[in-house]
Amino acid sequence: MDNREAKFILNAYRPGGQDADDPRFAEALEQARRDPVLERWFSESIGFDSTITKELCAIEVPVDLRESILAGVKVSRPLRSPLVRWSIAAALISMAILGSLIWHNTRSAHLAGWQSQALDVVSSLVRNESSFDVQSHNADELLAWLRANHAPAAQTLPQNLDKLASVGCKTFSWNGKPVSVICFMRPDGGLIHLVTIRTSAESDRELKRQPRIMQQDHWAMATWREGDNVYMLALQGPRDQLRAYLL
Amino acid sequence: MSAIDFQQLVDGQYAPLYRFALSLSKSEADAADLTQQTFFLWAAKGHQLRDRSKAKSWLFTTLYREFLNRRRHEVRFLNIELDEVCEEEMSISPNAHAFDRATLLGALHEVEEPFRAPLTLFYLEQFSYQEIANVLDVPIGTVMSRLSRGKALLRRRLLSKEELRGNKVVAFQSDRRKESDG
Repeated sequence: MDNREAKFILNAYRPGGQDADDPRFAEALEQARRDPVLERWFSESIGFDSTITKELCAIEVPVDLRESILAGVKVSRPLRSPLVRWSIAAALISMAILGSLIWHNTRSAHLAGWQSQALDVVSSLVRNESSFDVQSHNADELLAWLRANHAPAAQTLPQNLDKLASVGCKTFSWNGKPVSVICFMRPDGGLIHLVTIRTSAESDRELKRQPRIMQQDHWAMATWREGDNVYMLALQGPRDQLRAYLL
Repeated sequence: MSAIDFQQLVDGQYAPLYRFALSLSKSEADAADLTQQTFFLWAAKGHQLRDRSKAKSWLFTTLYREFLNRRRHEVRFLNIELDEVCEEEMSISPNAHAFDRATLLGALHEVEEPFRAPLTLFYLEQFSYQEIANVLDVPIGTVMSRLSRGKALLRRRLLSKEELRGNKVVAFQSDRRKESDG
């Protein structure tokens, strides 16, 4: 081993001495002990590394970062672009107008209580009568927030839903059971909503993994059970549009 | 993971993760965002990690991948030759004590990203070459090469700043002639 090779290896040697017993360094360390020039270089190098380490470890961290992380609050990520922001606003307004016109005709005896209430919540959101608990274009963030707040959250999203930008999520309680709603932006500017509730044995016995699709006036809905959760995917439009998101 | 465990993980890792993110992104806002995103991802997927002792490595790996994912749309990866490290470069030794923290960080930011990431993990977290290889998902030999090259680049950047300020270069310049390869 020449000095160039020894230096190459010793550059990975940590200044704290944690690698003293690592056999990969043994020969290079021995070389440094034998060669005073290499030994001096190594000593200088360790000193240099220690100084850099000390200074870099003293870089200050934003004072509110810890609290922001723990609270699940995003402090620095704005909406992606004004265009996206306006498209969301336009979609919400159009949904509000449409929703207010047709809402009273969408109820059905086939809907479970939580489904009916979920559509109430969705309607309220699109009419701007209530607000999201959290807003983000990243559905993973919304799912993480839901889990952190002990709300039902999907383990995995349907593949085509996962490709959409999320808008926000909201939680509510139905008969004492937590329910969550995540709203996504569709490519055509409309919205699609994923509602999640934990399975309750008596009411969800008939539900299967294969989605059951329903069309109620302007609402297309699919309901299925997976693991410990029951899901409902809903959009205002024909059921064929909904099928595309169940893949 | 309980809320208390999560808080302990945040308390133990958020500062070094932020510093790592800052070294990568060069922006305080982006670094804070990357750090938060990493913990969001932990909250979403961390339960899949069976060996909790690897949580720290998981967090650094995830932050690095998140950084690469975001950057993919901004700048194509620099085509930097990971060539053999010149011994002369390894012998440059600016006086690190002569610089304030901001200058050191500025010099680190000037080091190209493929070298900056392992360098930061080495300095900030005292990660071993093996741990760096795991985080960056590259072979050990590549880590050693990038550490050598990265340190040489950092020394060169600092040396330039030192020369600009008119400081005397403290180096092995005189010794290099005497140095044998044996």
